[in-house]
Amino acid sequence: MPIINVTINGENYEEDVPERMLLVDFIREQLALTGTHVGCTYEGVCGACTIHLDGESIKSCMLLAVQADGHDITTVEGLRGENLTPLQAAFNANHALQCGFCTPGILMNMTDFLKENPNPTDDEIRHGLVGNLCRCTGYAHIVKAVREAAQTSQS
Amino acid sequence: MFPAKIEKYVRPQSIGDALTAIGEFDDGDAMFLAGGQSAMQAIKSRMLRPECVVDLQDIAELKGIDMSGGGLRIGAMTRYVEIANEGSFAGGPFAALADAAARVGDRQVRNRGTIGGSVCWNYMASCLPAVVLGTNGSMNLTSAGGKTRTVTADDFFLGPLETAREDNEILTSVSWDAPAARSGSAYKKWGLVTDALPVVGVCVSVTVDDGGSVASATVSISGLADGGQRSPAAENALTGTDGSAGAIAAAMDAAAEAAETHTDLSANAEYRSHLIRSLGAEVAETALARARG
Repeated sequence: MPIINVTINGENYEEDVPERMLLVDFIREQLALTGTHVGCTYEGVCGACTIHLDGESIKSCMLLAVQADGHDITTVEGLRGENLTPLQAAFNANHALQCGFCTPGILMNMTDFLKENPNPTDDEIRHGLVGNLCRCTGYAHIVKAVREAAQTSQS
Repeated sequence: MFPAKIEKYVRPQSIGDALTAIGEFDDGDAMFLAGGQSAMQAIKSRMLRPECVVDLQDIAELKGIDMSGGGLRIGAMTRYVEIANEGSFAGGPFAALADAAARVGDRQVRNRGTIGGSVCWNYMASCLPAVVLGTNGSMNLTSAGGKTRTVTADDFFLGPLETAREDNEILTSVSWDAPAARSGSAYKKWGLVTDALPVVGVCVSVTVDDGGSVASATVSISGLADGGQRSPAAENALTGTDGSAGAIAAAMDAAAEAAETHTDLSANAEYRSHLIRSLGAEVAETALARARG
């Protein structure tokens, strides 16, 4: 079995993984970081497993764990420091989650999105959210929270 | 959805090492993995059961956009996000590439998926193969011993999931000749949801002469049952015209007439023909406006 070295949320891991193990399963099952969710039975359509690979949003069910060897990963557990990030706080304040299952993926995607586009229009936010499904249909509040987080971070 | 057993995973650092790795297995038992945004789906559903995965992510010579030399060369491992954000494509002969790349899947997919993966996978409903056809691109392939060959888009795309690439050949880049002055291109698709796979997409590249008339035109359609296809009918109908709304409409009528549209759960044949006309007219207008500057 190959040994991989990955940094996840600032911590180094050296782990044996079977070649066919998906990155999301490595994160959830082997490292027990269960904040990263599986929503669509690994079909790559729901975005709940979105993480940052070297700072960029990707779906962790679309990679083998061995492909992450040597890379730097952030999961939702690694977002906050002392306090909630402005985006997390805005989700809280705006009721941008109902059941919360899609939330980790959306937080990861929108954190990266806001870094790239700190002052987005609502259309841009909605376009940025295409890869994340919310089945409680709470998009209006999610868009509002992302907009507010952008404004908070700007001021 | 869980992959079948994979015996070996390798991550070569050079094209030569990648070819050596693939050569250690019988044809078809080892596969190159580019961005994996389609291939991993096939691996997870066990439609593909590779014994060996040769991951191309570390090969620097497969990455990047190069416009020195007049033409354009895009490394096979260049991602959609990089093509979508390439400022020099805006409003010019290669704008269709950015039009397409900016609307593939979603942000997460565009951060990972590559042009090389898309053209080698050649899914029937995909954007980049049709755009490479519609902009007259060529595929540069290398095989063991450093043997290289260049295959035009017309000869490369053989049908859904089939290309002229051999299993032991690596696509190194897609390239285009230097475009004529006053050239422009555009691409647009329609899918069931935002940025979904194309039910139909149309790519148009045009060059206009001094008087603004259409000197040459290339038209391709994505989402047909046989995958991305050129539309000679539309090209012939558009070439030599003044590029007026009437000329464009006639050309796209010819395209819809000649295309073999099919019916499936996404759309019936009649609606696909309608999409060719309406998207085609819009895309041709944009391409002409870009060509005229």
